[in-house]
Amino acid sequence: MEVTLKTHLYRSIAMVIIALMALQLTNAGGFQLNEHGSRAMAQGGAWAARAYDGSAIFFNPAGLGFQNHGSLYLGTTIIAPGVSFYGPTNQGQSGKTEMVSQVFTPINVYATYPLMEGLTVGLGINNPYGLGTEWDDNWTGRYITQKIDLKSFFFTPTVGYKVSDNLAIGANVSFVTGDVTLSRMVSPGDAKVELELSGTGFGFGGGVIFKATDELSIGASYRSSVKIDAEGTAAFTPSSALFPAGDAAASLELPSTAFIGVAYKVMPGLELEADYQYIGWESYKELKIDFKANNSSSVSPKNYENTFIIRVGGEYTMDEYQFRAGYLYDANPVPDHYVEPLLPDSDRNGFNVGLGYKLSETMTLDLSYLLLKFDERTVTGTEVQFDGTYQSTAHLFGINFGYQF
Amino acid sequence: MKLFARIITASAVAALTLFTGCSEDAPSDLPKPGLGGLTINKYVAVGNSLAAGYQSSGLYKSAQMYSYPNLLAGQLKLAGAGLGTFEQPYWPDPGNPDPKTGKAARYVIISLADPNNPVIGPKGETVTAMAPENAATLMRPYDNLGLPGAPLAGFMDTVGTYQGGFGPAIVRGAAGLPKSVFRSVVALQPQLVTFWLGNNDVLGYATTGGTSPSAPTNLSIFQALYTQALDTLKKALPNAKVAVATVPDVRTVPFFTTIGPKVGAKLAANGGLSLYYQKSGETGMGTGTTKFSGGSGDPLICLTGSAYAGLIGTPTGKFYKDNGFPALPAGIDTTKPFGVHPQNPWPNALTLDSAEQAIAGLAVTNFNAAIKTIAASYGAAVVDVNAVFTDIHKNGVLISGVKYTTAYITGGLFSLDGVHPSNRGAGVVANEFIKSINAKFGTTLTGVDVASLPALDIPLSKYMASGTGIPKVAPARWDSFLGLWQ
Repeated sequence: MEVTLKTHLYRSIAMVIIALMALQLTNAGGFQLNEHGSRAMAQGGAWAARAYDGSAIFFNPAGLGFQNHGSLYLGTTIIAPGVSFYGPTNQGQSGKTEMVSQVFTPINVYATYPLMEGLTVGLGINNPYGLGTEWDDNWTGRYITQKIDLKSFFFTPTVGYKVSDNLAIGANVSFVTGDVTLSRMVSPGDAKVELELSGTGFGFGGGVIFKATDELSIGASYRSSVKIDAEGTAAFTPSSALFPAGDAAASLELPSTAFIGVAYKVMPGLELEADYQYIGWESYKELKIDFKANNSSSVSPKNYENTFIIRVGGEYTMDEYQFRAGYLYDANPVPDHYVEPLLPDSDRNGFNVGLGYKLSETMTLDLSYLLLKFDERTVTGTEVQFDGTYQSTAHLFGINFGYQF
Repeated sequence: MKLFARIITASAVAALTLFTGCSEDAPSDLPKPGLGGLTINKYVAVGNSLAAGYQSSGLYKSAQMYSYPNLLAGQLKLAGAGLGTFEQPYWPDPGNPDPKTGKAARYVIISLADPNNPVIGPKGETVTAMAPENAATLMRPYDNLGLPGAPLAGFMDTVGTYQGGFGPAIVRGAAGLPKSVFRSVVALQPQLVTFWLGNNDVLGYATTGGTSPSAPTNLSIFQALYTQALDTLKKALPNAKVAVATVPDVRTVPFFTTIGPKVGAKLAANGGLSLYYQKSGETGMGTGTTKFSGGSGDPLICLTGSAYAGLIGTPTGKFYKDNGFPALPAGIDTTKPFGVHPQNPWPNALTLDSAEQAIAGLAVTNFNAAIKTIAASYGAAVVDVNAVFTDIHKNGVLISGVKYTTAYITGGLFSLDGVHPSNRGAGVVANEFIKSINAKFGTTLTGVDVASLPALDIPLSKYMASGTGIPKVAPARWDSFLGLWQ
């Protein structure tokens, strides 16, 4: 009986992973994604001081040091962003354009295994950076962007080590693949350019968790930036000697990020945590695309600024249920001058709720919901001469399935 | 499990509530079109080919639809003006006939057999109408009174001398309508008039290389005509708001800036030869030389010279044959290599040399000073088109992600004749009118979305943007265009 169930379970898990990968191949989500496990997501992503589950590989690899069991933790986040643009006001326009509705499903898959008491290894597969915006092909901003899809896969082997009963450390490396497709119109003569680029990169990270008392836990982690040198092609329709069709290349540096968090057990069953996340967006200075056909380059200055996210959240355990809630404030990295419909960002307030349910002694189900409210943002004098007001909202639904062995 | 089910239900309800509670109101500080308390039930445009929506050397409906007056009328209506139909003298495509050939006068990119040297000009399209589509049925003056070719004197002219070749078709004095543009305006009783004349008082001089006419309009005559125009308008329509515009410096338009640098590049590639050209007034030997080094003394080569640029260095008298010279002018020897020998120089009629540029430039400066002064004394808004296009000529202009320049064809703002704006060029002009009208009269007209206007139709798949390619317009094909000023 036990064997049959396990076989069945493994098979199901394998199928779910395949299905998730297939979903991901057709979609991608916001440039940086921080939803990499429903349990963490439901608590505002404040998780670096605890990192109890496989998502420690993302939030804080030291978390594995305290996990003396093997586990599988896998899930997806269904992201449904909505953006309305009013403008371009510098062309005297105030009409509303809605971004084409899309649904993104970044995945997270974590497997961990304790090699010996206090030493746990793991592998994570997730999508920490992604972006997808699409506007109607004929909209007035079509020379700036029609569609962009950026996706990344991080394959992250991780090791966590328990130095003592109250101190663990962890480290990992990430092998990264990145793909971007981009289309927009170019002048003169109204041609469409479609770029497809892909490349690989490498990053590393580390973390520490210190349990100061039975109640108080402090965690910190860091993940390096990842430089992706992408190559591919640029196609122009109609093709013309005016345009540099053919091989193209671009380099994109995914920013570094760091967490520091404090968790506190307020009373039996109730844990609260507050985190500060730093993102080194300064690495995104420009998007430079080199066209080999005529040795020319298209340079779009971005000049993003380093930024932060404040995260608070907690969970309350009652029998086989865990009730979770959280809040986050995400300060956007885009200076007013560089706001554009390619990535119409603004400061975000996130409201999180979620539920964990113990299906059995070894299996858990985590559900989460995040409402991301973007501050209304009005920009003038923009780099691309496309001013106006953006209103954005995103709904995110997370689901994760966990299995311990 | 019951509790679990209840929680799931509650969450779902909560999520749905959040969903439906999320539709946001439109931002309050967006531009709202308005007339600032003015009542505008009639708008009339006075002007020349620029107002008419003349493009690519022709007057045709699919371009006239994007004339700056029609674009402005559209924005006025958005702001609540009760204009009804803004009547324009639409000439059904492919537009007016070339008087010599009887075929459509408008230019298209005809041949790209040699993609480096696109051939541009009329392609023999059969004309479908000999007059604007409603010329016989519209028993009132057109709201757009742009007369291609008309100089400033065309405003008061009652006999047609200064109304240009299209005067009879647009003013229609013979059909019992008012015989002058001025009388037509008064008959329409507009509350808003745009008045943009004066371009042709220098353009005819410049586009013929300073030969025909041999001088821009005399400044004191220009001042007198301009004062008379605004004065009579003020007296006849005391409450009408008037917006006037300055005359762009001819030296910024692709008609003059395209060929010279390409010829220079070709000469440089051929051992650094100099171009020998006829200076102002010269008919025989050419005493001008240039390497087009970019200095202020460089001559400007007219786009009409495009057909001859490819002949530089070969012994040819094609220019003299094409232009019906009964005999070669004294001092000319067409056995000498064309353009690189003083005895077979680049012709004066295709050249605006530094002296002629100075004359044209001074005329523009003086006309514009007069326009600004006279407009101020009559309370008219001034649209400084010259300042705008001089800036675009220097720096280009970025609009919704596209950098537009004054380059021929690829710049996006000019039509194929190199003088008249494209649809998007007209959009830029319309937005300048709107800015000035708003600033002067307190209206809050919104602008034209330039990116929404059709782009210049370029057969991209065949077009080469080589640095040395010289676009070519066969010489006879300029007749209709240059005839605007005859």
